[in-house]
Amino acid sequence: MNDFSAQLATELQPASGTGPDWLNALRQAAAEQFRSHGLPTRKDEAWKYTGLGVLTQNEIRLSVPADTIIAPAASPAVARPVVAVEQQVTLLNGRILNRSENLPSGVALLALDEALDTEVDGLQALLESLPSAKKKTLSSTGFSALNTATLENGVVIRVASGVDGGRVLLSWSTSVEKAACLFNSRVCLILEPGAKLELLEQFETPRDNKNTSNIVVQAALGEGAALRHVRLQQESETTGLITRTEVSQQAGSDYRYYGFDFGGGLVRHDLHCMLLGSAAKASLNGAYLLDGNRHVDNHARVDHMAPDGFSEQYFRGVAGGSGKAVFNTAVYVHPGADGTEAKQSNANILLSKRAEIDTKPELEIYADEVVASHGATVGQLDEQAVFYLRSRGLNQEQARQILTTAFCRSVSDRLADPQLAEAISERMMDVMPQLD
Amino acid sequence: MLKITNLHANVAGKEILKGLNLEMQGGEIHAIMGPNGAGKSTLGNVLAGREGYEVTQGEVIFNGKNLLELEPEERACEGVFLAFQYPVEIPGVNNTYFLRAALNAQRKYRGEEELDSVGFLRLVREKLKVLHIGDELLHRAVNEGFSGGEKKRNEIFQMAVLEPMLAILDETDSGLDIDALKTVAEGVNRLRSPDRAMIVITHYQRLLDFIVPDKVHVLADGRLVATGGAELALKLEEQGYAWLEDGGIGTLDETGATQAGTP
Repeated sequence: MNDFSAQLATELQPASGTGPDWLNALRQAAAEQFRSHGLPTRKDEAWKYTGLGVLTQNEIRLSVPADTIIAPAASPAVARPVVAVEQQVTLLNGRILNRSENLPSGVALLALDEALDTEVDGLQALLESLPSAKKKTLSSTGFSALNTATLENGVVIRVASGVDGGRVLLSWSTSVEKAACLFNSRVCLILEPGAKLELLEQFETPRDNKNTSNIVVQAALGEGAALRHVRLQQESETTGLITRTEVSQQAGSDYRYYGFDFGGGLVRHDLHCMLLGSAAKASLNGAYLLDGNRHVDNHARVDHMAPDGFSEQYFRGVAGGSGKAVFNTAVYVHPGADGTEAKQSNANILLSKRAEIDTKPELEIYADEVVASHGATVGQLDEQAVFYLRSRGLNQEQARQILTTAFCRSVSDRLADPQLAEAISERMMDVMPQLD
Repeated sequence: MLKITNLHANVAGKEILKGLNLEMQGGEIHAIMGPNGAGKSTLGNVLAGREGYEVTQGEVIFNGKNLLELEPEERACEGVFLAFQYPVEIPGVNNTYFLRAALNAQRKYRGEEELDSVGFLRLVREKLKVLHIGDELLHRAVNEGFSGGEKKRNEIFQMAVLEPMLAILDETDSGLDIDALKTVAEGVNRLRSPDRAMIVITHYQRLLDFIVPDKVHVLADGRLVATGGAELALKLEEQGYAWLEDGGIGTLDETGATQAGTP
């Protein structure tokens, strides 16, 4: 373990004392795990292209409860929602700052501690299900162990069977304190059979923010449940954001992810779907646009455990300036998951010589009658297309803008929600890197 | 309107155009014919300003301006339009959006007011009517998944909207069946105007059955080696290009044709 991890390990005090015994046992076990493994390093295959320099440079400290109590008046301006929403939860430093009350019946939205007090059905099983470092293939386990060891803040949303929970926005930000802090938070989504929900997450931090957020989202989709998960992320070049999304899917459930990453100092997202029941669907879509010194690392993985599942991964990336993107997409079709269809597509455009994109698709199949395709490309703007546009009177800069916007719009258009797609497309145009 | 003098151009270090001369007035249609590899498409690309086509000698004066000094988009804004032999597919860019952006870029360059979407749509409808084509091309991404005929029709449609002063049609007939060819040719004929010159580059004579040119030039080995009236094209169809190697235009049984360079 390196010095940085060792220092965090000494600071680490499991959030004991609150909550039921099983939770304390979980926290203790995670703390032990963190003390023995620490945070990942570049020696870990899954972190080969992403170092933790931003965290060490910022001399990140683990937040202690006293740090996280912020008077609402002192809180920074909260990011404007990308679209109008009826249900919004604002989180500051991983804690709920405020939330809307007008929930549809059949939807429970609680702070994690409230949910633990009221013993929300399925919550214990969900929290205990977060895979641990014992499974070597999982990559963010050091951060997850830290997250579990300090588990006390977060949001729990439960949607009753057959209910459409509508759209809920989680707006995340952190406040600038004396020391740069690492804030942990957990989101638990429980969708009963046939339930529906759209979760919108927005992450935005102002300049000079040196904090890091470490957020784990766990979603359990019952039979035939449908979750749409839309993320829009724009951190400053000094901010860290480590997120992990774990989705477990029962038969016929449908998970759709649409991620729009504009990067930050260190931005990492591990997105993992377990298709446990037959004919489950996972559609993972994303665009990442990086300029300046921004970084983003997406690791997406789908495990097909049951027959007749469908998964697709559609990611598009544009990097300019000294931007750096890492993209890893993996599909594992396990024995018995016959009749699986899996598609992976990743294309990238580099607009600058200093920019870097590392992409790696992985596909392993141990079942029969599987249809799978994958492809990953990194290239420059299509010169033919640029000339075509210029020959009609558009200058080089306009041509670049039209082509890169179209490239990324192919992701937002997949939202099949014109209003949201348009709003996100506008944000993408605001941050679109320039040719250089 | 257009005067090309002693134009030499290289592609990938190889000289393709070797001293080409051409003069055109507004309203004229000139056909440029010639065997494969003669430099026909190079001429179109040089005039449009494509990268990789290096002019080593000569000049091109277009409406008093030195065309070769201008960027491709400036040439377009000055009124040069190249209808591509292979129109480029641009997924995700709506045809209407693209064309409006292009037209407005040109209008802005010329100090004219930009068109809003209502004004643009009105113009587009008018042009579609003139060309007798439906509006299905409008809603699709630029050339994406278009058939060969649709791609060429889209080029002509763009030309109708952008109203260039000099249009260069680079093998617009290639890959088209006779019906598609007729449709495209009709479109071109409707866009004939006293202020618009057109260069029709083609390998085959059949396009010239439908677009009757004022002059026909034969381009061979980087130079215009013969010039004649529309009937020259028919002769070429009949006799092919073998005479080029057999001793020049004199061997061609064609009274209307003259050796290039002689009046």
